[in-house]
Amino acid sequence: MRDLKPRKDLLDIEGLELPEIEYVLSNAVPFKQLFQRSVKKVPTLRGKTVLNLFYEPSTRTSSSFEVAANRMSADVTNFTVSSSSVVKGESLLDTIETLQAMRSDYIVIRHQAAGVPNIVAKHTGASVINAGDGYHAHPTQALLDAMTFREVCPDYQGRKMVIVGDVLHSRVARSTSTLFHKLGIEVGVLGPGTLIPSGRHEFIRRFRSWDEVFDWKPDAVYLLRVQLERQEGMFFPSIAEYHKMYGMNTERLVRMRQIGAYLMHPGPVNRGVEITDEAMRYERSLISTQVENGIAVRMAVLHWLKPETDTD
Amino acid sequence: MPSATPRLFQNGRIASADSKDLLASDVLVDETGTIVAIGPGLTAPADAELIDCGGGVLVPGMFDVHVHAREPGQEHKETLATCSAAALRGGVTGVVLMPDTSPPVDTGNLVKSARDLIAELSAIPMLQAGCLTKGREGKEMAGFSGMASRGVPMLTDADRAVPCPDLLRRCMEYARDFDLLVTSHCDTPALSKAGAINEGRVSYRFGLPGIPAISQEIAIDRDIRVAQHTGAKLHLQQISTARGLQSVQCAKEAGTSVTCEVSPHHLVLTEQDIRDYNTHFKFHPPLRPAADVEALVAGFIDGSIDVLACDHAPHTEFEKSSEFGSAPFGAAGLETTVPVMFDRFIRKGVFGWDLLIKRYSASPRRLVGLAPVAIAEGARAEFFLFDPEGETPVTRETMKTKSPVSPFLGETLVGKVRGTVLGAAWYPQG
Amino acid sequence: MSESGDNVREAILSPEEISAGVADLARQIAYRCAGDEVAFVGIYTRGVTLAHRVAEALKAQGLRYPVGTLDISLYRDDFDNRGSDLPTLESSDIPFGLDGIRVILFDEVIFTGRTIRAALDGLMDYGRPAKIELAVLVDRGHREIPIQPDYVSTHIGTTRDQYVKVRFREDDGGEEGVFLETPRKVPTA
Repeated sequence: MRDLKPRKDLLDIEGLELPEIEYVLSNAVPFKQLFQRSVKKVPTLRGKTVLNLFYEPSTRTSSSFEVAANRMSADVTNFTVSSSSVVKGESLLDTIETLQAMRSDYIVIRHQAAGVPNIVAKHTGASVINAGDGYHAHPTQALLDAMTFREVCPDYQGRKMVIVGDVLHSRVARSTSTLFHKLGIEVGVLGPGTLIPSGRHEFIRRFRSWDEVFDWKPDAVYLLRVQLERQEGMFFPSIAEYHKMYGMNTERLVRMRQIGAYLMHPGPVNRGVEITDEAMRYERSLISTQVENGIAVRMAVLHWLKPETDTD
Repeated sequence: MPSATPRLFQNGRIASADSKDLLASDVLVDETGTIVAIGPGLTAPADAELIDCGGGVLVPGMFDVHVHAREPGQEHKETLATCSAAALRGGVTGVVLMPDTSPPVDTGNLVKSARDLIAELSAIPMLQAGCLTKGREGKEMAGFSGMASRGVPMLTDADRAVPCPDLLRRCMEYARDFDLLVTSHCDTPALSKAGAINEGRVSYRFGLPGIPAISQEIAIDRDIRVAQHTGAKLHLQQISTARGLQSVQCAKEAGTSVTCEVSPHHLVLTEQDIRDYNTHFKFHPPLRPAADVEALVAGFIDGSIDVLACDHAPHTEFEKSSEFGSAPFGAAGLETTVPVMFDRFIRKGVFGWDLLIKRYSASPRRLVGLAPVAIAEGARAEFFLFDPEGETPVTRETMKTKSPVSPFLGETLVGKVRGTVLGAAWYPQG
Repeated sequence: MSESGDNVREAILSPEEISAGVADLARQIAYRCAGDEVAFVGIYTRGVTLAHRVAEALKAQGLRYPVGTLDISLYRDDFDNRGSDLPTLESSDIPFGLDGIRVILFDEVIFTGRTIRAALDGLMDYGRPAKIELAVLVDRGHREIPIQPDYVSTHIGTTRDQYVKVRFREDDGGEEGVFLETPRKVPTA
């Protein structure tokens, strides 16, 4: 039994303390083992409601949360708000009032604007889990990334990881780099100058080329998805140029193999942009493990957080 | 409450722009609102109201050149009445209103309507600024001659920069003919775009799109150059970075007719003070890093910054309750400016009342062609009583503005405006 | 008898008596399970130790029964009441099929029966045993659920407010023994 202060919400990684992180990551392991049973469910959250509130479409994250909640025997409601149905006049507070009336125990929320989960968390007793808000944070992604990395590198302290791609617009980069740093893993980034913010945390070192990356011998290379719209945003001249400079291609795969580095990606991938078909078959790719661990981590998070209920 | 009796302010200490020292004295104001005597131990006329200052400071009324009163058109945020009440609570006895009302004030007739409304609804004098461009749309010049004839103190598109340098140049050339002050909101929209916060470490951590410092700095440089080229008088609003201030300093050294203002929040708050996506800290220009704040304070003290202006920009709590990215910029400032300046600077000895009077009373008036006010025999009474031992809690209930949105909400500031005198009227603040 | 803090502690079983108890359970099980396919499942934490000790004793008689482990935290009925002491989950490990097997659940003490109820739910999510039985070292009474052990070594009469503490050297840093703790009554003035 550990004396951790009970937490209602998971909004970002910055606010987490190491004992809490250790707690969730170590609990995720038995949850993962459940997947091998024929009965993958446990009755822990029976009778509890989980509301999946997704303002941005995302089948992989929302279904991962849905599977996790189902495996905890919770009742899940999916609420996808498309941009057309968000009427300008209906404010966030109006939506929150509706949510309060629904009395969910857990609200999983994804929104295109940073800070929205924070606002929702302030106005409801439900446990709010941030499934991604703007460029700000994606804490469960970071946790599953850490779980995955520690599985292949149990002696993770002092190990190294490089994030490649659009860090400027990436909540995954922010949360994962912050978490890995808290765990004592060194973090570097590679990408075009337009997409590597100068205001990033000081502990994140910047590499100028794949040569520099491989000289550093990272234990894992984490590719970020590059959104095709970025090209129009004048961040780089063309997809072809991005792929040539920063894509995981055959030649770089060879070097990955030489140093025995693992490959990670939060998904979904853009084949031909940040990664080639061949690289998707790389034997040290952890991409599908990340997905599997995502369910286990999300179960551990649902198990850990404590909603404020009227009966408290 | 206003009433026409003489008033004797006893045991006060008079502050002035000319001296660091406070003069222990009584002040007698007659029933016409004229200061008839200053000196220790004055005798009160029989019918005089006696006000014991308790050693409090008597300060010439402040003047804010950057105020949004929201009337006509946006009275849900603020009205002329609530705005003037907020001003009196803050020791402010005169303001310049921005023309971004609905409709925007871009013709002589609209200036006249505004002045009529002010006369009817406001307890304090208010000057109405006019737009630079029609409808503030940045496409065509507004009607300068009509507005000039109605006595506009300045021309500005308020919160909008004129995008086209050629139009800006023509506006400045034409404004010079009327000897009108051109006031610029310094911003480069293509750079600030959807930005919500200063671009830097805090924007990274919050995952919010940032407004780079160069957005304001480039605009400052551009407007200064155009002003130099055309010979217009230029006033720059809301300086927020060290580099921007340097540009102003260089221009002044070169003899350019340029002035600038800074807000209290830019002197006192940094981007690090923004916590948990609190939109009460969302400003345009945004709060900056500590190094910029330090440079601005130094500039405020040495006079590179001419005036203090709070950019009183009330928005309803409802509007401010949306998520940070889409919440409107700005907060109410009239009633907190003097207490904040006392709490953060004067009581700590960073500077004295004399400096504050220069920057927030005398220079702002001179900027718009008004004579400074002083506490002197024969002068019209226009001053406030400040209690350095009192407290100003900044709460929803105590604020007079219709929209109590402020980054100081929840704080209790040291010092309190106990009341404001405007001629024969005395407005005590409970 | 020793006193520490607010509780008065009394030794109920010595290490020798515990060994005798383990041997007693082994005897009962060997006798009644003769010929059946049997597996042990220990409930974390000390139920696992007890299951291993009984399995060892039976090995000496030539009976080799596999031992699995079960963490029942996810099956408890008091999830809403968890306070600041958050349970760390252990890995349940049942590396054998349960269908058709006679499973004996092991826990060191049975009290209200709620832990065993949770263990039954957990166990049955792994498969469908032919028969489930329960073995405990100590039965201290005060059942709240109609569950009774099939194999018991020691019965202890207790009051509701007392604590029965089993200490196994493998789990408790070398300490071995069964203790009864009684909260010290604060004398009324």
